[in-house]
Amino acid sequence: MTGNVWVVVPQACLLCGSSLVYLVGRLWKTRNHLLALLTALFFAMALGALVPVFKLARPGDQAAWGHFGPTGAFLRADPGALLVAGIALGLGTLVAIYSGCYLALDRRYETFYPLLLLLVAGLVGMVLAADLFNLYLFCELMSIAAYILVAFRRRLDTAIEAGFKYLMMGSVGTVAMLLGISFVYRGAGGLTLSQTAATPGQWTHAGLACLLVGLGIKSAIVPLHTWLPDAHGRAPSSVSAMLSGIVIQSAFYVLLKVSLGLGFAARDLGTLLIVLSLLGMVLGNVLALVQPHTKRLLAYSTIAQMGYVMLSIGVGLRHSIPAAIQAGFFLLLAHAVMKGLAFLCKGVCHFYCGATVIGQLRGTAARMPLVAVTFSLALAGLAGIPPLAGFAGKWFILTAGLRTADALVYFGLAVFLVSTLLALGYYLPLIGMLFAAQACEALETSEVSRIQVSPWMALPLAVLGCLVLAIGLYPQPWLNWAAAVGDYLGTLGR
Amino acid sequence: MNAETTWLVIILGAPLAAAALLSLMGARGARMAGWIAGLAAALSLVGTIALLPALQRGDTPALGFEWIPAMNIRLAVRLDWLTLSFLITEAAVALLAVVYSWGYHHRDEGTAYFYASLMLFAAGMSGTTLADDIFLFYVFWELMLVASYVLIAVWGEGERRTAVALKYFIFTHVGSLMVLVGLILLYNATGTGSFSAFRAGVTLAPALVRTVVTLFLVGFCVKMAIFPLHLWLPDAHTVAPMPVTIMLAAAMLSMGTYGILRFPMGIFTLAQMTPFAVPMMVTGIISELYGALMALAEDDIKRIIAYSSVSQMGYILFGLGTLTWNGVAGATLHVIYHGIVKALLFMCAGLIIRATKRRRIGQLGGLGGAMPVTAICTGVGALAIAGAPPFCIFISEWMIFSGGFHTARIGLSVLTVFGSLLTVAYALWMLGRIFFGTRPEGLTVGRLPRAMLVPTVLLAVLSLVAGLFPAPVFDWVARELPMLLGGAW
Repeated sequence: MTGNVWVVVPQACLLCGSSLVYLVGRLWKTRNHLLALLTALFFAMALGALVPVFKLARPGDQAAWGHFGPTGAFLRADPGALLVAGIALGLGTLVAIYSGCYLALDRRYETFYPLLLLLVAGLVGMVLAADLFNLYLFCELMSIAAYILVAFRRRLDTAIEAGFKYLMMGSVGTVAMLLGISFVYRGAGGLTLSQTAATPGQWTHAGLACLLVGLGIKSAIVPLHTWLPDAHGRAPSSVSAMLSGIVIQSAFYVLLKVSLGLGFAARDLGTLLIVLSLLGMVLGNVLALVQPHTKRLLAYSTIAQMGYVMLSIGVGLRHSIPAAIQAGFFLLLAHAVMKGLAFLCKGVCHFYCGATVIGQLRGTAARMPLVAVTFSLALAGLAGIPPLAGFAGKWFILTAGLRTADALVYFGLAVFLVSTLLALGYYLPLIGMLFAAQACEALETSEVSRIQVSPWMALPLAVLGCLVLAIGLYPQPWLNWAAAVGDYLGTLGR
Repeated sequence: MNAETTWLVIILGAPLAAAALLSLMGARGARMAGWIAGLAAALSLVGTIALLPALQRGDTPALGFEWIPAMNIRLAVRLDWLTLSFLITEAAVALLAVVYSWGYHHRDEGTAYFYASLMLFAAGMSGTTLADDIFLFYVFWELMLVASYVLIAVWGEGERRTAVALKYFIFTHVGSLMVLVGLILLYNATGTGSFSAFRAGVTLAPALVRTVVTLFLVGFCVKMAIFPLHLWLPDAHTVAPMPVTIMLAAAMLSMGTYGILRFPMGIFTLAQMTPFAVPMMVTGIISELYGALMALAEDDIKRIIAYSSVSQMGYILFGLGTLTWNGVAGATLHVIYHGIVKALLFMCAGLIIRATKRRRIGQLGGLGGAMPVTAICTGVGALAIAGAPPFCIFISEWMIFSGGFHTARIGLSVLTVFGSLLTVAYALWMLGRIFFGTRPEGLTVGRLPRAMLVPTVLLAVLSLVAGLFPAPVFDWVARELPMLLGGAW
């Protein structure tokens, strides 16, 4: 065990934290607030531990920890992993604070918080892993935590159904991954990504195909997305924020890293991503148009937005334009903030007013101005309206894409533009609902009166709302961060 | 920071600051809201006028900061002669619309937000004309759309306001996206978003030039509501509350003209633009005739005036399409004069609707005796829009027609001149049906607030004065023309 120990500190924080939070929850009949605070503290510590790693990471010299060598197993802090892990930890901190109030709906505090920590621990480990063995283990940790969290409302049939569906499809993905890993081992005699790339052969190719399917299911790439609307639509909103915001994106990043690491030509991967993104953008946006449930709508919007990210990264890989990959990761970051915010806002409406259907959001502005404003910031940002975060992403994707002279890319961009138009068809009415004058009568509290939103929920909303504005108005620092990822994947693909 | 840049900051900053202040005040600010918005709009106008001497000295007041260095995008604003005509129209219209709102808008707890949105709308338009970087330009371009969408969706009149607002947003957003693609193609060609690079000249492959110009023309024509891209306009203008309609019709439509002058005509040369001359002229004529015919067929006063905008924008596109000095100068003059007259007509319509609670022309009549001031103002507006001398539009139409006759397409020009007969028809027909004849049973006339009457009278006087003394405005427009078509003039 050698290398830079800081790489493993976030993991340690999260894993120790999950046991500790569970113990505290079991031993003392404590209140929700304490556990939420404790969980947020562990997330923040892990995020803090990432800072030294981030400082160490330079092009060509990434901090790593573990057993090195041909049969080694280690974690390596590449820029993309740092970006995804950073987003996950940041979002995790806010979601933990948010749950300090929101979880009063579901109770069972002592199981929720440890699972949340395990989910992120698995996620961080998975993106940092530099070998397929660690990658598989952490991926399973993340997935299992996610299955349980989706079915957390165990008294609801729909939640159980969604969790079961997710479990079934996720397990198929897991099996495919395991099969793929064994093929790769058969072909290359090792599992570290840098080494296996050197020995391409039929076994490696077969392994790669299986891994692509497995990770494709985990990252809900159309046509392997069918579990997503159920899972993200039925999970508690705080969980959906994590799942939609960063979990599937982390699986997507791993898919990129593994494919390039196993010697999949960047050009072909790029083409594949562009073609798949077309399906995602169209299907996600069209189906979102007809959803009556707010959370399902947001879930389909995630499929569409992942399509934008895939298109951009696909363009970058196909034509080796780092700026396009950078744009993709910028949008990934912006999307995590905006979608996380949207789900959390929806959760507040559910918590205070029992709103689930879009029509029940009527009159939110009069009751909870903060929620209405931040929710519309998130939705307008997702719709790509300037000067919010989504618009900067749209601009970068277009600038990078139009630099090529490629019919497929142009077609992709045309589909992208048309689907952003389609998307206005559901974002704008949703914003309109929030600001509608008369409140919905079908709700438990039908009279329009000001509701005092708990500070536990108001704080994460305010922070994320400010971020949506900040990323849009001053994208430079975030762009630098994404640029490092673009460069890294560019070199990996070469 | 010298006096010029301070004024630039005030032009943009005053409405933005007012919007922020009003949103923060919320329901508490309802009483003060109108005054704050009026003050901000007035400051914006004063700032624009204060910068006139600097322009006349040959300066171009500018201000810029680093924004996104990695993409070579700057936060830059700049005032030149091309900007001025549009900026001054926009600032004046915004001020008048705010003053008109004092009388028109019923105060409730949302009043502060209403004025805040009006201010954002105004800031979006002045920012669009002042921006010196494509990113900033597009941000303001869309701010204009978002703010007007909010105004229509929340304060619109009638049950269909949400649907109409959505249609308006999506329709004009299609145009915006075309403009966006065009802007980014230019950005990729020059490697910078700054307009100064465009002023220095952009070299593009001929095929790319055609694509970019087409994208810009179609995109901006959506904003100008040129047939067949006008479908959003009649609904949006009818449903929007009157002050917003005034800003939409008198100021926002002209932003499309600004875009055409700034981008395709400002960047490319006469030779590169020539293939587009005939399509622009023909579309202009179709729009002119179609708008006028629809105005004749309509029954709702607001819709008549809305269709008249489609028709008038047709004149402007025709003028631009001639690619002659007279035609382009006439088109720019028409933007300013149309702003004055269209604001006047909508204000009159607002007065009539407020006084009688009716908006169908068939239910009105014989109002001349009961509301003489409104009748005279509407008369001035109708004569002016019909192009009768000595009102201002006579001059701009004259210029546009003479531009047409300077081209080889005499047939098209003759068609435009005869097309203007239709304008006379709908304008006088509307005037006659409302103010002359017998008054229908049960038509009562209510009292009108002074805040609504004063700006109306002011505009009526202005449309006469501008027609009698066109020299100063003509001078501004003449200064802008050397900036166009690669310095062809």
